[in-house]
Amino acid sequence: MVEAIAMAHAWEMQADPCVVVIGQDVGANGGVFRATAGLQQRFGSDRVQDTPLAEAMIAGMSVGMAAQGLRPVAEIQFMGFIYPALDQIINHMSRMRYRTRGRLSCPVVIRTPHGGGIHAPEHHSESTESLLCHIPGIRVVSPSSPARAYGLLLAAIRDPDPVVFLEPARLYRAVRQEVADDGRALPLDVCFTLREGGDVTIVTWGAMTADVLRAVLELDKDGVSAEVLDLATLSPIDSGTILASVAKTGRLVIVHEAARNVGVGAEIAALVAEHGLYDLQAPIQRVAGYDTIMPLFKLEQEYIPSVRRIVDAVQATLAA
Amino acid sequence: MTTFKLPDLGEGLAEAEIIAWHVTVGETVSVDQPMVSVETAKAVVDLPVPFSGVVERLHAAPGDIVPTGAPLIEVAAVMAESSGPARTAASTVVGKVPSSEEELIETFSYSRPAAAAQARGRAVPVARALAKRLGLELGAVDGSGPGGLITLDDVLARANVGATPPAIAKMAARAQIAPQPLRGARRAMAQTMTLARDQIALSTVCDDADIEVWGTSGGQGGGYTLRLMRAMARACVIEPALNAWYDAKENARLLLEHVDLGVAVDTPGGLLVPVLRNIQAKSPEELRAALVAQKAAAHERALTGEDLRDFTLMLSNFGTLAGRYGIPQVVPPAVAILGAGKVRREAVVVGERVAAHLCMPLSLSFDHRCVTGGEACRFLAAVIADLELAE
Repeated sequence: MVEAIAMAHAWEMQADPCVVVIGQDVGANGGVFRATAGLQQRFGSDRVQDTPLAEAMIAGMSVGMAAQGLRPVAEIQFMGFIYPALDQIINHMSRMRYRTRGRLSCPVVIRTPHGGGIHAPEHHSESTESLLCHIPGIRVVSPSSPARAYGLLLAAIRDPDPVVFLEPARLYRAVRQEVADDGRALPLDVCFTLREGGDVTIVTWGAMTADVLRAVLELDKDGVSAEVLDLATLSPIDSGTILASVAKTGRLVIVHEAARNVGVGAEIAALVAEHGLYDLQAPIQRVAGYDTIMPLFKLEQEYIPSVRRIVDAVQATLAA
Repeated sequence: MTTFKLPDLGEGLAEAEIIAWHVTVGETVSVDQPMVSVETAKAVVDLPVPFSGVVERLHAAPGDIVPTGAPLIEVAAVMAESSGPARTAASTVVGKVPSSEEELIETFSYSRPAAAAQARGRAVPVARALAKRLGLELGAVDGSGPGGLITLDDVLARANVGATPPAIAKMAARAQIAPQPLRGARRAMAQTMTLARDQIALSTVCDDADIEVWGTSGGQGGGYTLRLMRAMARACVIEPALNAWYDAKENARLLLEHVDLGVAVDTPGGLLVPVLRNIQAKSPEELRAALVAQKAAAHERALTGEDLRDFTLMLSNFGTLAGRYGIPQVVPPAVAILGAGKVRREAVVVGERVAAHLCMPLSLSFDHRCVTGGEACRFLAAVIADLELAE
């Protein structure tokens, strides 16, 4: 996946001279995870700029560049370091279009690794996407395969409004996938149906997608046919696809790594309660991280929802 | 030969401690194969082999502290750099990014369904919960809400037409008793009485007829029943309101000239009510013959539908078994039923003295929607007056 991300950067930098890449170590080093490898050598240090360790500045600089017609793609090295940038994101980036009555928009992409499972120290394994999803004017997108990382990052860069792009860190090198470097974007604001099924709908995103697909193989053995939706755009939510799927299956399980309390899963559950309640044959189940600090790496596998927990939640909806 | 130096492990740390080597001098290695585990101030990091080749030299031993930028390993290339894009090593990662060569084969779609999938068994949650508790299949319930939505009322309606409630079935299973389905007269009684209970505004008035003048032989050979029938026929002339049908739907009553009396007959197969036609026009002999014939037919299960239908008034002479007063149930569309209890000797006041007289207790039930209390009491008084005649 990390190579697909580098590939998408390169394609769009080649296609659009306004695209610039900024962040700590994105240039000479090629990024902490190698997501910008080779870009500075190819496009020069004007377009691929290393910045100081200052997230608020990275975000603020992006706002300024975007206001002047550039399309900055900024990297925050880990999601746990995005908080100093929230002031710029919330108070400026998200509302530039609103504030200028449409005269300016803010075509910024902020990329950051998301989630745990990489044996990293504190602050390096966060999944705090619901903080960002709560902000009007910000799109929040998370890919779950190399192909979607490529297609969605292209779409995010081309979008005239700000996108926070959450890259599942433990999927960076988890699998290989042939991805055609053809510059074709995937649509934002839609769910991706990874698997069709009739018994239960599972909505998930990011790295949990891989665990959900493993759980689905277990469920297959029990004769349970699960439909898997990759949310992909976490805000705004593609309610149509979710409601149509729930109308078909009558059951909903939401799986996310982030803490349960006020997670994006709660928003999806509310959506279905408001518009799809009469289709439900069982109460909605959420499988989520715990309402604690993301633990250090010895315990991170206890925190991240396991295949077992996902299977159990599905079985619970079927038994209800 | 290429020297690989300890890189900055992404956090600007100055040094790292070698924990373990995973390659040895002389070993042929390839890119990305695990090379060495090092510990920084923050985490243990595995570094992969940066170049393919043969390991020439390891610059540090386990336990050594190596400064960033110092030589770590030397690898001699055994062939030209492999063609294709240079693989980027994950060497500056904090932590350990899991990697595999597993090929991801996936298909995905994002086209929204053109039309919502056919909804199945859409139900209000409380209706769904009730159906589950009652053991009802939602598929068997007709939804009356918008778009076929199943409501609580739909489940309740369905539940009421259901057969044996599941709780009873479980009790029967525990007690190892086979349920006896209600059949024939017994089944008809269950339905008729449910209907009667739901529809009738039932009132009952009770009194006694002093039949001392009959003498002790008065009740023999169906004598009580014959006298009761005559008394009722005569009372219908005095108070016609009780010999009637009530049409609740049209809010109309039909006052009838003829008296077709339904007489309750207790049989092993259940309660049967054969009808004696036109009792107002029959002689005592004709009535006795009709009564004997219908009772016999009831016991022989020889009654036809014709024998059972369209009674205008009903009599239950339950006192032949036991019981003084009762609350007989009116069966619509008729509006009244007279119950006669067990005839017995009773202390009655005659002039200034108390005397033992033969008495018949009477219970008259009527449908108060259609019959007034006054009409009922006038009818009962007329019945008593006739019963108290010597002949």
